[in-house]
Amino acid sequence: MRRYAGLLTLILAVALAAPPAPAQEKPRYGGELVFPVPSEMPSYDGHRESTFGLIHPIAPHYNTLLRVDPTDPTGTKPIGDLAESWTASKDGLVYTFKLRRGVKFHDGSQMTSKDVKASYDKIIFPPAGVGSERKGSYAVVEVVEAPDPYTVRFRLKWTAASFLTSLASPWNFIYKADILAKDMHWYEKNIMGTGPFTFVEHVKGSHWVGKKNPNYWDKGKPYLDGYRALFIKASSAQVAAIRGERAHIQFRSFTSADRDNLKAALGDKITVQESPWDCILMVTTNHEKKPFDDKRVRRALTLALDRYEGSKALSRIAIVKEVAGVVVPGTPYATPPQELEKVAGYWRDANKSRAEARRLLKEAGVPEGFSFTFRNRGLPMPYEPLAVWMIDQWRQIGLNVKQDVVEAAAYFGELRKGAFDVAMDFQCGYIVEPDLDLYKFLSSDKNPANYCRCKDEVLDDLYLKQARALDVEERRRYIRQFEKRLLDEEAHSFMTLQWHRIIPHSSKVKGWQVTPSHYLNNQLDAVWLTE
Amino acid sequence: MTKFIVRRLLLMIPTLLGVAVLIFLLLRIVPGDVVEARYVGGQGQFVSVEQMAMERAKLGLDQPLWKQFVAWMGGLVRLDLGISMWTGAPITEEIKLRFALSLQLAVMATIVATVLAIPLGIVAALKQDTWIDYGVRVFSIAGLAMPSFWLGIVFILGLLIIFEWLPPMVYTPFWVDPWQNMLQLVWPALAVGYRYSAVATRMTRSAMLEVLREDYIRTARAKGLWTKLILARHALKNAILPVLTVIALEFAFLLGGLVVTEQVFNLNGLGLLFVEAIARRDYTLTQALVMLVATVFIVVNFTVDLLYAWLDPRIRFR
Repeated sequence: MRRYAGLLTLILAVALAAPPAPAQEKPRYGGELVFPVPSEMPSYDGHRESTFGLIHPIAPHYNTLLRVDPTDPTGTKPIGDLAESWTASKDGLVYTFKLRRGVKFHDGSQMTSKDVKASYDKIIFPPAGVGSERKGSYAVVEVVEAPDPYTVRFRLKWTAASFLTSLASPWNFIYKADILAKDMHWYEKNIMGTGPFTFVEHVKGSHWVGKKNPNYWDKGKPYLDGYRALFIKASSAQVAAIRGERAHIQFRSFTSADRDNLKAALGDKITVQESPWDCILMVTTNHEKKPFDDKRVRRALTLALDRYEGSKALSRIAIVKEVAGVVVPGTPYATPPQELEKVAGYWRDANKSRAEARRLLKEAGVPEGFSFTFRNRGLPMPYEPLAVWMIDQWRQIGLNVKQDVVEAAAYFGELRKGAFDVAMDFQCGYIVEPDLDLYKFLSSDKNPANYCRCKDEVLDDLYLKQARALDVEERRRYIRQFEKRLLDEEAHSFMTLQWHRIIPHSSKVKGWQVTPSHYLNNQLDAVWLTE
Repeated sequence: MTKFIVRRLLLMIPTLLGVAVLIFLLLRIVPGDVVEARYVGGQGQFVSVEQMAMERAKLGLDQPLWKQFVAWMGGLVRLDLGISMWTGAPITEEIKLRFALSLQLAVMATIVATVLAIPLGIVAALKQDTWIDYGVRVFSIAGLAMPSFWLGIVFILGLLIIFEWLPPMVYTPFWVDPWQNMLQLVWPALAVGYRYSAVATRMTRSAMLEVLREDYIRTARAKGLWTKLILARHALKNAILPVLTVIALEFAFLLGGLVVTEQVFNLNGLGLLFVEAIARRDYTLTQALVMLVATVFIVVNFTVDLLYAWLDPRIRFR
């Protein structure tokens, strides 16, 4: 007994010393969530548009077949939304989804596989005259079938590691087949979904209102009575809205200075959630312009950047922070920091890196003080501070760089024409998935949005291999090889710093998790307000 | 007088036509178009060249310029402004929403400016080189030096820090809830009106100084007329002509030119719509807005000319 008494004392001591586990907060019903949206949608059709200005106010009206787990901070884990379960054939070419029963559209009609098929047919095989923004990312799909009212089957042309994740795209709203059959453009101006909130009103340039769907299939949800999205363009007005407690949260991001100001003004009334952001500015070199056709020069440009010191300084004034490779840090396929440090431009020793850059330039015959123009997009944040930083970094290896800023709307047209030496390029993903993140760097003849005017069959091949590798480790290996070749060996393009997402929100808001994408977690079904 | 009015009305047609040609060509010279603004960059990498061509064809951007111009002009003649290339919604609907707010703000700011400028300008002229004059001049120069959006930010921060209160973020029409409407618009009206009054105050002061030295004022005084009557009937009536021009032109400007102030106060006005339309290369909407603003300027000028003629008979009979 004495033997056990000692053990019991120890357990008791540990139990008393340990802080009490926080009780799971019970969601409270009621209230209206108010959030500013810094952009506004051109139309209401998620299949057609690509702005978060659509997702933030409209996503709560819809469901998708799969969705990204709203509690997963990496924003990469697909779970069922309208799909209750699914199976994949052994060869990975057929995916069969069983749909939930009892799901109703807001007009009271039943949702069936016919609706899922019609929605995906619109996305993947849009008829002439119907725009589909992401049709190209579903090239793998051969056909969508609806063998019975609650089963949907996708037949693929080849195996695709990203297929399930791609079905969790927040854009792929399930529309009503009967409506689409009558008018494929109906959803551009109207709302009819199965989501947790029904549509109330949209006043252009002003606000969007949704109210609780009392017949929502996920019993007990949503918790909120409704929500109100305010279209507020100026960041100062957005911050003022949060500070003045006229709004609870802004789902895109604020700057670190805004976060600090809000925290200083409101203290515990503000909760801050942060995450690496699946958006990045990168540098693209024009291979048709000398000396950028020489990989030694391109490598020198990336070697000149001291990303670690840059991160410390720039994260205080701009919306960038993480030193990253081709995949968002902290997500399943990201290169661990110690491995990334072996890639050119990511070495910890900046002096060694710059000495190598100078050596490469000399070897390539680029004289000291060589001048070139860096084309930049006419947007202040974070284009401007990043460009200023890079120009200074390049100066330190003996390059004299002039910045040429082009108005934002005309910018990519200029890049496509090849009217640049070296330029800033941009990528922002709606979900962290290597197929989406790496596609940008395929040879220019395969993807005209890769403005380097370069061809690299090895990279193209590695892309296909990683896309088709169903084994996680194998896929990871190909991604590493892709990254090494793109950023180091060939340096066709190279990364600056990953954007950093900062969401300071009212502490009254619960049930919402930040992820690396500002397009995710906007269904609002699990969000609730403490008062 | 009728001949004068008819001549001025007829002159509006070539003016508007000139504006139409100019804006149509200028927009097409600027690189980029609405399809590019919508689909290129960011996530646009999966959009094919064919899809972009299809979108251009839908919007008629693949047509020769003259055909696009003729189609637009045809619509204008029928008072059909067409649809926005960005949203696909009728332009009249896009503008109608914002016009009420911009008009109300312009009217309120003009009232603030007039109420401040005319009395202050008169007082400053009457008390020339006294501390009152100096005070008015400092007040008006400060107004000129402070951009209205900056003053707006000061208002917002002041209200937030001192009263822990913010003006409403959503526009409520006056006829729906006058109190909410005023709570939102009074602050930008004050910020804009003060800036706007500064110019008018200085103009009133200098015009009054000039008129007060005229022979007919001396004569009126010599006749023993009341000072108030001299000021109201003889001095102000003549001095007000240039002030009227300034106020009228500012009013026309306010309808579409308050971009930053609208952003600061989150007002859903025409200024912001204008800037967004240009940034998105929404040709049809930009063209319609330019025509609207040009028409407002022309109508305001015309009205000022009529008021001139009413105030000064010499103009009427010229």
